[in-house]
Amino acid sequence: MTSTQSHQAPLTHGPLDGVKVLDLSEDIAGSFCGRLLADYGADVLKIEPPTGAALRRMGPFFGDDPHPEKSLFYLVMNLNKKGATLNLETVTGQKILKRLVPHVDVVIESYRPGYLAGLGVGYDDLVAENPSLIMTSITPFGQTGPYSQYQGEEVVSYAMGLIMSISGIQGEEPLKHGGFQAQYEGGLNGAASTSMALFMQGNTGEGQHIDVSVTECVASTAMATQTMYPFMGGTLPRRRPSGSNFGHPMPCKDGWIIVQTGGGATWDTIADFFGDPRLKEPKFAEPAQRIRNTVELDQVVLESIKERGKWDLFTKAAEARMLFGLVQTPSELLECPQLESRNFYRDVDHPVIGKVKVPAVLFNLSLTPYQYTGPAPTLGQHNAEIYVDGLEYTREDYVRLRQLNVI
Amino acid sequence: MARLPLEGIRIIDSTYVFALPYAGGLLADMGAEVIKVEGPGRPDVTRTGGYAGAFPENDLGEDWWNRPSTYNLIHRGKKSITLDMTDSRGRDMFRDLIKVSDVVMENFTPRVMRSWDLDYPNMKKLKPDIIMVSNTGYGHGGGPYSSYPAQATTQEATHGHCWITGYKDLGPAKAGASFVDFLSTWTALFAIGTALRYRNKTGQGQWADIGMYQAGVMFMSEYILDAQVNGREGGRIGNRHPYRAPQGCYRALGDDQWITLSVGDDESWAGMCRLMGRPELAADPDYADLLSRQRNHDQLDSLIQGWTSGVDKYELMHALQGVGIPAGPVLNSKDIHYDPQFKSRGFLERVDYPKERQMGSRMFIGRPYKFSNSPLAIQGPSPTFGQHNDDVLQGLLGVDGETYQSLVNDAVIAQVPTTGEATPRVPQTEALERGLLADWDPDYLNSLGLA
Repeated sequence: MTSTQSHQAPLTHGPLDGVKVLDLSEDIAGSFCGRLLADYGADVLKIEPPTGAALRRMGPFFGDDPHPEKSLFYLVMNLNKKGATLNLETVTGQKILKRLVPHVDVVIESYRPGYLAGLGVGYDDLVAENPSLIMTSITPFGQTGPYSQYQGEEVVSYAMGLIMSISGIQGEEPLKHGGFQAQYEGGLNGAASTSMALFMQGNTGEGQHIDVSVTECVASTAMATQTMYPFMGGTLPRRRPSGSNFGHPMPCKDGWIIVQTGGGATWDTIADFFGDPRLKEPKFAEPAQRIRNTVELDQVVLESIKERGKWDLFTKAAEARMLFGLVQTPSELLECPQLESRNFYRDVDHPVIGKVKVPAVLFNLSLTPYQYTGPAPTLGQHNAEIYVDGLEYTREDYVRLRQLNVI
Repeated sequence: MARLPLEGIRIIDSTYVFALPYAGGLLADMGAEVIKVEGPGRPDVTRTGGYAGAFPENDLGEDWWNRPSTYNLIHRGKKSITLDMTDSRGRDMFRDLIKVSDVVMENFTPRVMRSWDLDYPNMKKLKPDIIMVSNTGYGHGGGPYSSYPAQATTQEATHGHCWITGYKDLGPAKAGASFVDFLSTWTALFAIGTALRYRNKTGQGQWADIGMYQAGVMFMSEYILDAQVNGREGGRIGNRHPYRAPQGCYRALGDDQWITLSVGDDESWAGMCRLMGRPELAADPDYADLLSRQRNHDQLDSLIQGWTSGVDKYELMHALQGVGIPAGPVLNSKDIHYDPQFKSRGFLERVDYPKERQMGSRMFIGRPYKFSNSPLAIQGPSPTFGQHNDDVLQGLLGVDGETYQSLVNDAVIAQVPTTGEATPRVPQTEALERGLLADWDPDYLNSLGLA
């Protein structure tokens, strides 16, 4: 591949320009996958049941008003998409889906394995309509295996994906991450694997059925844990109830901070940063000694930060080249100057919600950067464009489809 | 069977620790030729120190730097070369390598890459359609934290996840290990897939600038919106769900055995009451509907644990799933190797090492996606340090024999790291006593069929 162009027109599109996607998912993971493809240039159409995707019923809601257009979760997961409704449980709906599929490169879905096939619109049915189709299925346990029909939830994927076995405190219950990290992980892996399949489709004309398991995504973040067993028969514990503060949040005057040894800072520097002369005693000089005297070490460190503020500590730790963090709250993240410098947020103007600032840019791409093109679609917003302009149903038939609960 | 997606693509992996090196391993699984570049005096930290994980049979062995478990998981299927980048000959060969590659991944500080004339504008001069991927803690640019030292453990606090993670009503906590590294890993795959496709369409390369902090914050989106719009700051609810009830992690039969479950409707709750042998609870006004179960969650938890603590975790999962309740056991590093689902899907893949490596055969995490038309798989074991110096420098770049020898003599390239030392291993029984291990199974090689 050679680059012979001597000048470039200003580009107003993304690296996935020209890629067309049908997003049939109702959940976080599939919707996030579709959104990432849309963020980087794909033309993504959200297809929802006439009653709306399940995510429209999930909070937080704008003004705590559980209205289908006011789910902030739906909003942020469906930016940059168009939206249409289609009832896949009707034969007419299934036929319409088959008419749409030849026009797209990718179908995203997150239904229980076998559900779409049972309706006659599974991968085998759709690939018959479009031989180079990529279908990306994101489910709790994957398309195959004895648990494929089992129901998933965030906490279950975290439990079976090893992470809970090493999280939380010994003696207490194992702990998951807050929020819906496993679902986001499934969405990001869906987008990453789909981008590879699209590259291959461009080279060979072949499509794929991509089978993403959310539980396997979580387990993929446990590599040091997994290998303990086949390398030495070991199982890792959760953290001890005391004497294990380094690498975990510690309270200071107005919040919490976290410190890790290593990086560019020597122990002497770290001792000076905390400022208690006891930290320079020989019993803390070497890593092995610090581990042995860790309960006492934690006490000294906690005392030394009790009256100090997290932001002051954060700045001074950076000057000392320490590995250091402070526990930020959601509203602090909203006002973060570093995120401003990266142009991370975008202002969205939604027809029902109004103006909000949304987390937008996953990463920077120099030639074809992230672009904000529109808020999440309202329910069925682009029905006429898709069915009348696109598939050329007459206005009369279009109205009939609505009355027959197909769209 | 069709070919692999990245066949014919050459990727330079000049990166350290977890995030992009792991992306390199996953790219090799996709069929790319991935060349890991390390300095003779700057071996990857997954070969040494606290990031090494475990060693085969807890034995450092002769060439300890090639034996750690995390190094071997991350660098599967790659080639390895060494180049002293502080020597101009090392940098020149790196430049020559760029000229014949498709993608360069790096995670040096911005200052270092500029000082070597290896920032993106300079790389582009060497190879106009090069795709460059950078990963840093806070991303490039002029932001106030851009030069701050960072790694995943401390960033987990800064990007907000500790705020929402922790036991109910207690302080913030961390979960897992190096969480945000993996978000960068997968973001890099996405960036490379999209950029390669774009290059095929237009002939143009570009620079992907990944900041781990920003990737972490993205996974906090709904909390940030709730704070902005409703003034609600989130916080910690342990293993509970914002609206399903009950949801939690409960003791199962045996020492440190646990089951998770999540009830989302009244019918499945009634089914669970029958399983508990307490059908009357389904009609108890304290628990009969979702809202009262949410209100009385604490007392409900003790009721549930009274039942689960006497039953095997897998038996609980199958019974609860049987009445439509999402449920699953907490699996640890041993359990996952024997779980029927992970086994059936081949999620853990076996790697057989050549005899001279004295590594035997080991199981490694594969990848969380399967392709119906491409047999994605670990393509081979990790390379030894500098194993492909000869292949890549003489074979690919055409360095002559005499020059190659002078590079060896001057330690511009090496097959043994010139710095670093192994952290001594703690014997297994002592590790158990000190609580560094939760459990130890001395018969693991036989049980796994790896003996």
